[in-house]
Amino acid sequence: MEIKDITNFPNVAGLGGPEALGRTTQKEDKPGGFADVLEKSLGEVNQMQQKADAAITALATGEKVSLHETMIAMEQADVSFRLMMQVRNKIVEAYQEILRMQV
Amino acid sequence: MDVSASLAISSSALQAQRLRMDVIAANLANAESTRTPEGGPYKRRDVVLESLSGGSFEDIMGSAAGGAVRVSRVVADEKPPRVVFDPGHPDADAKGYVSYPNVNPITEMVDLMAATRAYEANVAAVNATKRVLEAALSIGRA
Repeated sequence: MEIKDITNFPNVAGLGGPEALGRTTQKEDKPGGFADVLEKSLGEVNQMQQKADAAITALATGEKVSLHETMIAMEQADVSFRLMMQVRNKIVEAYQEILRMQV
Repeated sequence: MDVSASLAISSSALQAQRLRMDVIAANLANAESTRTPEGGPYKRRDVVLESLSGGSFEDIMGSAAGGAVRVSRVVADEKPPRVVFDPGHPDADAKGYVSYPNVNPITEMVDLMAATRAYEANVAAVNATKRVLEAALSIGRA
């Protein structure tokens, strides 16, 4: 059996609010859709993590960065990652709620 | 991100206080230096802190740099040097007097304590910001 990317299923890809229910004719790949927002915020979280990584490397290799800047970069990465986890939890929760629906 | 504004302000303050501590450490280290590349005894140095808050209200409220602080200059203290009679010293003048730096270790220690406390206060501000963010993340977690 072929395993497909979950977003390739037409019914899953359009988790975009009322539009997804077919009341409007907008497509799921319109700019500013839920997938775009999610991707953008994931990119931001990733950027924070990379910034913290770079700061730690710079500190460890004796470059001229201050300890507190590194710590603040790590804290920011930590907080943004946890925000992302909260969003993920909400999405999974909603998905499971739908799965439990009686047909 | 709005979140990083207060962290950026605190970060700038931490940076400024660190530099202030560096200057105080240099003053203490050179409390007995009687010669410098510029000639004469070491002169005590002091930092001048400058607020980066912009002109308008929108500038201050809107930008991450608003309210931040930085060290604008490190100035030399032009008070006269401490003169001690010591004819055997290589830097003694014709009358046998040696000019020592105008550094008072007691003043420097008090300044060092103030800088340390200011640094700690800013660390407390960073931690408070983090606690607020964590509280916000816990919304809805029951």
